[in-house]
Amino acid sequence: MAVYDSVFSSLGLKDWCDSNGQDGPMSMADLMNQNTGAEDGAPVSAWDFPFPSMDALNDACGSFPQSRDLTKGLEEGFLGAKDSMSIVLDPLTQPLSWMLDGTLYAMLSTPWWIVIPLLLFVVKLVTQSWKLVAFVGVCLGGLAFIDHYEYAMQTLSIIFVCAFICVILGVPIGIAMSRSDTMQRLTVPVLDMLQTLPPFVYLIPLIFLFSVTESKLYGIAIILYAIVPVIRLTNLGIRLVDKDIIEAANAFGMTDRQKLYKVQVPLALPNIMAGVNQTIMMSLAMVVIASLVSAPGLGVLVLRGIRNLELGVGLVAGLGIVVLAVILDRVTKASLARIDSSRKD
Amino acid sequence: MSDNPIRISIRELYKIFGDDPQKALEHVKAGMSKSELLEEHGHVLGLQDINVDMREGEITVIMGLSGSGKSTLIRHLNRLIEPTAGRIDVDGEDVLHYNDQQLRELRRQHMTMVFQNFALLPHWTVLDNAGMALATRGFDRDDYEEEATKWLARVGLEGNENQYPHELSGGMQQRVGIARALTSNAPIMLMDEAFSALDPLIRTDMQDLLIELQRELKKTIVFITHDLDEALKLADHLVILKEGYVVQQGEPQEILMQPNDPYIMDFISDINRARVLRVRSVMDTTQTTPADCAGEVDADDNLESVIARSEGDTSFTYRVMQDGEPVGMLSMKRLVRALVPTDASQERSNAQ
Repeated sequence: MAVYDSVFSSLGLKDWCDSNGQDGPMSMADLMNQNTGAEDGAPVSAWDFPFPSMDALNDACGSFPQSRDLTKGLEEGFLGAKDSMSIVLDPLTQPLSWMLDGTLYAMLSTPWWIVIPLLLFVVKLVTQSWKLVAFVGVCLGGLAFIDHYEYAMQTLSIIFVCAFICVILGVPIGIAMSRSDTMQRLTVPVLDMLQTLPPFVYLIPLIFLFSVTESKLYGIAIILYAIVPVIRLTNLGIRLVDKDIIEAANAFGMTDRQKLYKVQVPLALPNIMAGVNQTIMMSLAMVVIASLVSAPGLGVLVLRGIRNLELGVGLVAGLGIVVLAVILDRVTKASLARIDSSRKD
Repeated sequence: MSDNPIRISIRELYKIFGDDPQKALEHVKAGMSKSELLEEHGHVLGLQDINVDMREGEITVIMGLSGSGKSTLIRHLNRLIEPTAGRIDVDGEDVLHYNDQQLRELRRQHMTMVFQNFALLPHWTVLDNAGMALATRGFDRDDYEEEATKWLARVGLEGNENQYPHELSGGMQQRVGIARALTSNAPIMLMDEAFSALDPLIRTDMQDLLIELQRELKKTIVFITHDLDEALKLADHLVILKEGYVVQQGEPQEILMQPNDPYIMDFISDINRARVLRVRSVMDTTQTTPADCAGEVDADDNLESVIARSEGDTSFTYRVMQDGEPVGMLSMKRLVRALVPTDASQERSNAQ
């Protein structure tokens, strides 16, 4: 039979192997062997000697699990836990669906001649720069002119909601990390994992847990991916606050709360804002990928371009995303610069 | 020494930095030196058996080179650093037994601090910085504005209230630091190398400002410096630290005339003695009026002014007056002898 037969027989496990020696699903290699008519018992040359992997051992002993059983076990375990997890996770995440659907509805059902001026007003408010307002106006007008207004607004609404939640959750986590080294030690590996995991991989467990028709599915994927920078930079910003100033705050008898709100957070604000900028940019990156799981917006057009080989549709939508990215980046950077200039030391 | 009541009393204070300070403390008490402790146990001896009394209304100057533990010592007074062993009484209460709440009260109401690097809040205006102590106590700007403006004006910062610290020069920033300390109205002021980061002319200005304020306010000031001239100019009581222990403490004139350690003699050999020594420290206390009395000098005049008055003639003898009473006499010969530092130590060794 196979190379590792002797191993099992010498360990006296032959009986165990044969006891439930049903052959697993036929592997591609087996199929090839059959077709080429290679003989099962032929001696294996040293050059082809296989690594004792799960599949190779399964060849020798039918009771030994194949590696496919490993991934299968994971799937089954996940499916088994799914129902009980849903009981907790569903109500917890349901508000996210409502927020996303509500914002999408509000942005799309409001006529363009209200939404665009409103966005321009917000830009003016946070940047105090007419040049940027004009730039944003031209960009949005351009997108609307080529009939991408609706898609762009969908993408923007998703980013607004997700970035907002990232800030709401990320800043307190960052503050907690800055206050406790243990918390930092525990959190950093999680953040590292979230940051290095390929974005597509996020989607896999989420698809199992939630239905693809629910908007919270892509919402969670985007938030997980984009929350990292705001946490990291909040933590860093607070830890970088001048030790002398913290000492002065202590010497004047400030409570921890006073220190946090009057000294640490204001002084860390430039860093926190840099984190918010990064978070917004990363949610934009993820919102495109999330179109795979029914996130509306420009990403859908990109996906259509790939699927149907509609080159023009995909390219124009891609450029539209670039335009949105430039707008969001410029506006957040400009408001960051405003904060910086008033808080120099 | 004056008879003002003792405000802060430090007794047998030790501070050891390291993993197991209590164990290291036993070694130190058994007589192990700082370098041995570092080499054999990896602990740094920060402060060693400090006993200092700080009196009300006086400026106590703690002087030492960098690494002597002076900044560590001052941070023990408001417990920014916790001691390893010892006792610190402020107004008769042991602050080391204070809980968080009491400690905050101490820092808010009774002690205030001025920092070497100013440590102003960069995102607050000068006015808000000056009112920081009151804001911390929960007052609104309307409540502290008047007080803060008053003290800012007092330190010479009228009209700068709405600027931000980064718009001010270093000297002006430290004036804000002082105004901040004064606005808190705490009776005890800790000043950690408050003027060391300033250039020499500004530093002199600030010293004069502090002396002037002190004459009026009579606070209990603990002042840290590495500059002997500054120490002698400001000190009512001078404490000299070296490697974490007190080498000598006392009235500055006394330390100048009778240094009891080679370390201090080295220190004082470079200073301009004519400027820092005062008539009362070198005069002859005999009451016999000299026949050729050339005039009267005040006991608190420095020798430089007497030399200027005599125009360099060493044959004169002056009568020394204090509060209108003659307290002694000073011959120019005696004065000139006092200007030579070895002379003082010579006298000391002769006396022994």
